Amino acid sequence: MAIGQFDPHLFLKILPDLAYGALVTLKFSILSTLFGLVIGTVFGIFRIVKNPVLNAISMAYVEVIRGTPLLVQIMIVYYGLPQAGITLPPDISGVLALSINSGAYIAEIIRAGIQSVPKGQMEAARSLGMTYVQAMRYVVLPQAFRNILPALGNEFIALIKDSSLLSVIAIAELTRVGMQIYAVTFNAWTPLLGVALFYLMMTLPLSRLVDYAQRRIGGHESA
Amino acid sequence: MSLLEIIDLHKKFGNLHVLKGINMEVDRGEVVVIIGPSGSGKSTLLRCINRLEEPTKGKVILDGVEITDPKVDINKIRQRIGIVFQQFNLFSHLTALENITLPLRVVKKIPKEEAERIAMRFLKKVGLEDKASHYPHQLSGGQQQRVAIARALAMNPEVMLFDEVTSALDPELVKEVLDVMRQLARDGMTMIVVTHEMGFAREVGDRVIFMDKGKIVEEGTPEEIFTNPKHERTRKFLSMIL
Ligand SMILES: Nc1ncnc2c1ncn2[C@@H]1O[C@H](COP(=O)(O)OP(=O)(O)OP(=O)(O)O)[C@@H](O)[C@H]1O
Ligand SMILES: [Mg+2]
Repeated sequence: MAIGQFDPHLFLKILPDLAYGALVTLKFSILSTLFGLVIGTVFGIFRIVKNPVLNAISMAYVEVIRGTPLLVQIMIVYYGLPQAGITLPPDISGVLALSINSGAYIAEIIRAGIQSVPKGQMEAARSLGMTYVQAMRYVVLPQAFRNILPALGNEFIALIKDSSLLSVIAIAELTRVGMQIYAVTFNAWTPLLGVALFYLMMTLPLSRLVDYAQRRIGGHESA
Repeated sequence: MSLLEIIDLHKKFGNLHVLKGINMEVDRGEVVVIIGPSGSGKSTLLRCINRLEEPTKGKVILDGVEITDPKVDINKIRQRIGIVFQQFNLFSHLTALENITLPLRVVKKIPKEEAERIAMRFLKKVGLEDKASHYPHQLSGGQQQRVAIARALAMNPEVMLFDEVTSALDPELVKEVLDVMRQLARDGMTMIVVTHEMGFAREVGDRVIFMDKGKIVEEGTPEEIFTNPKHERTRKFLSMIL
């Protein structure tokens, strides 16, 4: 066999397990992106409002998260919080850690997205009697989201890959499933190639979609 | 009593003193044209009237209500003061129709169907009922500006502010926008118009105000200002642009 000890028989046998692991990975990535989107929108807006305290809080959050490894963040949530009296099931810890992590990256994306909307849009909305919140919600954010859709897609792709770190807290996502098969069969190549394949099957179509979205937005930019 | 009264209005940006004590009154149905060199503070004055810029000092009084009072609900007041900008500022993710219905629904809480009826009425008024479902990037500059005017009018304001609304347009598109404004003046709308279109100022303006360096230098009927300006600075400005 050319590649290590790739075993086609074993491969077929473990496909359902890997597929299940991939679903778990997808579930964690989707949930964390959604929560991350909420956190990111809030902190992205905190960054641009005229309030030094909120600005500082948002900046600190983003810097801390971006400046520390995701693995450490996951372990702090999983091992640290219980010692502070907060015990969460692994699933919740996993989503929490990933959401806090992606929230910081998405906050930066949202901030850039809001700043990409011309100032005149907010002014026109305010001049018609909309409150700041209404103008944000109905005028600025929809345009910001349209502009940052590709960046959000990339963030989602990154999260699919990064969620493999959840394997350290015993969440049965794709990577952990692969490792467990290895531990039982002592065959590394078969499960790990399978794992890689499943990651690719999730990320490749998404990358295509992001490319497509990028081209479309670039295609009809308007003033 | 005049509809709009501005008393000793000042605006500073940091150390830059942009408005230095503006006093003016605008009567109901009056069309006041403001002219003046670039940087004289015309836009800032308009933007202070609906508090897109906060005045540093002074008062703006609309129909007896001091709107520069910090206690006043500015979002309520802004519904009564329409403004149209040089850069149109149509909401680029919405169709022409939705540009008009959005503020009606969000601000005035008018139900969808009725908001659409109102929007169509104003699109018709500016001659664009057939463009209702077009997005801004599918419209010419002149058409965008007419939608912007319709959007402001649909809120049923008592006074309309126009800030060089034809300056960003190709020359052949200027007329269609001025025609809409002309009609509006004829219908009795109270208007404050900042413009470089002297022909329009002459024809439509009831009064012309010449501003320079943050102050009103002189004001009068179009006749007085254009044929017989009293101040040297006014004469100089007019000779430069006429
Ligand atoms: N937000 C701001 N911050 C700082 N300075 C400003 C701001 N807005 C306007 N200014 C300054 O105030 C002065 C007056 O500007 P304004 O736009 O009111 O002039 P204008 O008469 O409308 O000129 P134009 O004919 O070019 O439109 C200018 O020097 C301008 O640079
Ligand atoms: Mg100006």
